Amino acid sequence: MPDSRYWNPHTETLPLDRLEALQERKLRDLLDWTFARAPWQARRLREGGVEPLSVQTLADLRRIPFLTRADWMAAQEADPPYGPVLTQPPEAAIRYHTTSGTSGGRPLAVLDGAKDWEWIAEMWCYAFWGFGVRPVDTVFFAFGYGTFVGFWGAQYACEKLGALVLPGGNMSTEARVRMLADCDATVVCSTPTYALRMAQEARRLGIDLPGSAVQRLILSGEPAGSIPATKALIEAQWGAKAGDTAGMTELGTVMMFECDHQPGGAHIIEDHYVEEVVDPATGEAVGYGELGERVVTSFGRGFIPVLRYRTGDLVCRVSADRCSCGRGFDVYDGGIRGRADDMKVIRGTNVYPGAVEAIVRRVADVEEFQVRLYTADGIRDEIEVQVELAIGGDDVLAELGRELAEAHEGLRFGVRRAEAGSLPRFELKAKRLTDEREVWGGTGERKAL
Amino acid sequence: MDDSFEISAAETELLDVYERLHAILAEHGEELPPFAQRNAIKALAALWQVANGLGRQPGQVYDVGA
Repeated sequence: MPDSRYWNPHTETLPLDRLEALQERKLRDLLDWTFARAPWQARRLREGGVEPLSVQTLADLRRIPFLTRADWMAAQEADPPYGPVLTQPPEAAIRYHTTSGTSGGRPLAVLDGAKDWEWIAEMWCYAFWGFGVRPVDTVFFAFGYGTFVGFWGAQYACEKLGALVLPGGNMSTEARVRMLADCDATVVCSTPTYALRMAQEARRLGIDLPGSAVQRLILSGEPAGSIPATKALIEAQWGAKAGDTAGMTELGTVMMFECDHQPGGAHIIEDHYVEEVVDPATGEAVGYGELGERVVTSFGRGFIPVLRYRTGDLVCRVSADRCSCGRGFDVYDGGIRGRADDMKVIRGTNVYPGAVEAIVRRVADVEEFQVRLYTADGIRDEIEVQVELAIGGDDVLAELGRELAEAHEGLRFGVRRAEAGSLPRFELKAKRLTDEREVWGGTGERKAL
Repeated sequence: MDDSFEISAAETELLDVYERLHAILAEHGEELPPFAQRNAIKALAALWQVANGLGRQPGQVYDVGA
């Protein structure tokens, strides 16, 4: 079936009962492997009252205790450099990678064996193929190729599916834009932020991206890939379709991808993962259409078994029929909506950076922006948005302030114009929020009126 | 509920190749010269994805170096 729309037509089109049967069998296999070869994980399971035979169905999954980033990091710090999480000796691995470090904490380090590394690329193949990338394509990677796993697996996926890879590591933005245009790249991989940065650079260089060979962008690394206003801006500036993906180093690869039907969200790769959505506060499952935190169990990486990992990603799951592509894989509507730990409380109002970005991109034609939280007069939380405007003046700033307030229960946002080129630019994950508020109590407790 | 699905004759042959390759590496991996052993391991890691994607239970293959 050379023209298959699906990377794996067998599993991507399974009816729900068959898909769940496959997941349950893989779940039992994963439990067996974990108890046999992963003593640290097995001890945690036993402490939670789980024995090898006590998880037989997806409904039993909730018996397994959550694994948090903090648990994993504490184990790694107690037993560096990898922690007691490996099923194999480190010398059996072929790859070392780390988390991005953008959270400010120490990065987690992970290892993969040959089969795991191949699997990591396999997951990206679902995403590339599903978004229409084919062997005839030329794929440019705007990626630094360091220890952060980022697009590493994506590059191997493109080699696997037969595309021509243009590795754009260790290059300036100007050099990248020139290369992808000169080499007739048809697909570009980057973070959403950096896609906009390259478009900006192309305009400066007089390179017509919409007139170039680029037909698709594969975005990853930030929630913005599914923020409608940001995505529309990227698609307009490149004259190409933008597809969102999301992954994490803790699992080595992507867990979700947007297909070429662009349903406004990303399909979960359900033959390789079980994804749950829970209330971040209580850990109880939430239903379709409700915002909650992703909890993931992965069947792929045997080197480090991961069961019920609290990702911190906020998502809204809807059923597979949201999309007309024919996949049986459910969809995260709007992709990753933000991080559970991203939320800021400003004078009693919840503010999510992703929601602010959605409004900024929709209302104003911005080159770049930053959000700053600070304490005014020693007692009052304030929020300020600084924007580099491409077009417009004070009227745009005023409108932006109005729209932001309206979307946040009347919360007053200071909106200020920044000098062109004065705000930071990002190649990997953008960090557009700084919190300079004075803390007077325990963690996160702040002065506020 | 049965979790298997129908596969073609060509896919069945690929599964046979996977099993055979796994067996060769398990039985004779250490006898092979480096170029043969390491390329066979790389091939096994790739064919594992096929077996897994076809809904089989290929297990883990670290014992043969993959």
